[in-house]
Amino acid sequence: MKILKLTLISLFTVSLVSCKKEAKTTDSSKDSLIAKKDSVAIPEVHKEYYGIYMGDFAGKGMIVSEDGEEYEGIDYKKISIKINRITKDSVYGQSIVNGNQRPFRGIFNDETKSFVLDEPGNDKTDGRFEVKLNNDSLTGKWNAFNKSAVKAPLKTLKLIKKEFVYNPNFMLSEDNDLIDWENPKNFVEKYTDEETGKTETYTASKNRIASDAVFKINASKQKLTEKDLKNLRKLDMEIIKNSVFARHGYAFKKQTYRNFFEQTDWYIPVANNVDKDLSPLEKDNVALLNRFIKYAEDKYDSFGR
Amino acid sequence: MFSVKKNIPNPLKILLIIGFGYFFWLMLKITLEYIPLGTNVSFLMIKQTEVVERPEYLYFFYTHVYTNIFVLLSGFLAILRKDFGLKNFHKNAGKIYIVLILFLAAPSGMYMGIFANGGIYSKISFVILGCLWWFSTYKAYQLAKQKQFKEHKQWMWRSFALTVSAITLRMWKVIIVYLFHPNPMDVYQIIAWMGWIPNIILIEYLITKNHI
Repeated sequence: MKILKLTLISLFTVSLVSCKKEAKTTDSSKDSLIAKKDSVAIPEVHKEYYGIYMGDFAGKGMIVSEDGEEYEGIDYKKISIKINRITKDSVYGQSIVNGNQRPFRGIFNDETKSFVLDEPGNDKTDGRFEVKLNNDSLTGKWNAFNKSAVKAPLKTLKLIKKEFVYNPNFMLSEDNDLIDWENPKNFVEKYTDEETGKTETYTASKNRIASDAVFKINASKQKLTEKDLKNLRKLDMEIIKNSVFARHGYAFKKQTYRNFFEQTDWYIPVANNVDKDLSPLEKDNVALLNRFIKYAEDKYDSFGR
Repeated sequence: MFSVKKNIPNPLKILLIIGFGYFFWLMLKITLEYIPLGTNVSFLMIKQTEVVERPEYLYFFYTHVYTNIFVLLSGFLAILRKDFGLKNFHKNAGKIYIVLILFLAAPSGMYMGIFANGGIYSKISFVILGCLWWFSTYKAYQLAKQKQFKEHKQWMWRSFALTVSAITLRMWKVIIVYLFHPNPMDVYQIIAWMGWIPNIILIEYLITKNHI
């Protein structure tokens, strides 16, 4: 009987959740689902504050440079905070940093218009947000639970409310930086001193640069053909493919793609999985792009065609 | 019978044989990517337009892939012009080489050339290559039948130079990509021509200098 009751409640909850527009993000973590279960009957307050707040997430910390040296610097990141639900005594939502989506739960103080939000604590990057709402902006600080596990245990937040909308027209624009700083390729170069005649070798690194094809080819709007892709480099195709996911608010785990899309004013990471949101056209194009990316990876510089 | 020895110094000859052995091994590995037979493996990954729109494409493609590894092998064994103690070895290896090219490899190559990657410039190159390949092999066959062995040898070297373009084309690709990192189809247009023109120039040079 108890099981039946529980099943009914959870079924009811699931049906409620699926009615909501943002179901795709809320049902992705267990915590929020459980949270929903005991709050079905509790009235929601301050629906006007629901939404996505996005902006800078920065704090002083030890940073390791490329040659292994440690120095104190600013650990600078982008963060999205999503407020899903506010009741009289609870707040539910998620934070996304570096593609890592964490649920949080906390309280809202009506008088000071401030939130205290706690991430679950089972991830080393979890912590407590203390933020204040002022019209559309959300500012405050974050403290890591485990101070020694993160680079910067104390961070400040400066966020602004954003409206997530899917628009197939969104693309990288001409003023975006097209260099992939994350995957440098090392190669050895020779240098001959003209006076002494000595030859020295040194290692230089080169970064990949995307072409302007990423401004022209839109995999959310046009049906791509093999001909469209044949002469493209791997990075171009990766960007064209991931533009589709960026438009749907996918929170990229790879720094490369965050770098490209965080430059735009339209990219708002809202979900860890957007596969279900892709249109049939986008699905076809992504499949085609995957094939060509695989081919470029396997064959571009190898003995073969 | 021993004219090869006269023309090519022994160390160089050994080097050429080892080099061919190495690249034949690489070609064999490429061929093995197509076993078991698939419709979207390896090179076919970027050829699905043809595979879907032209039901005959796969037949031509697989004819080309599977025969060419034997063309390379039989051509190499025949061009050594030794019988290795077996009766008519050179003649039989040559027969296999000729039959495979004239009936299977060259016609399928020409067909595929029409749908080659890289646009009109590579298409022209591959179709011309296919025609010259067929013609030089046929000519060499005729001359052997007429027992004009000097000319037979010269035409066979022309034919084999074009056969070896399968290897040289892929070598140029590795070199060009390493040096200049061009876009894939820009490389393709270049190697479509670089694969066989230097080969045939070298052979013509050797023929005029009476080395072959």
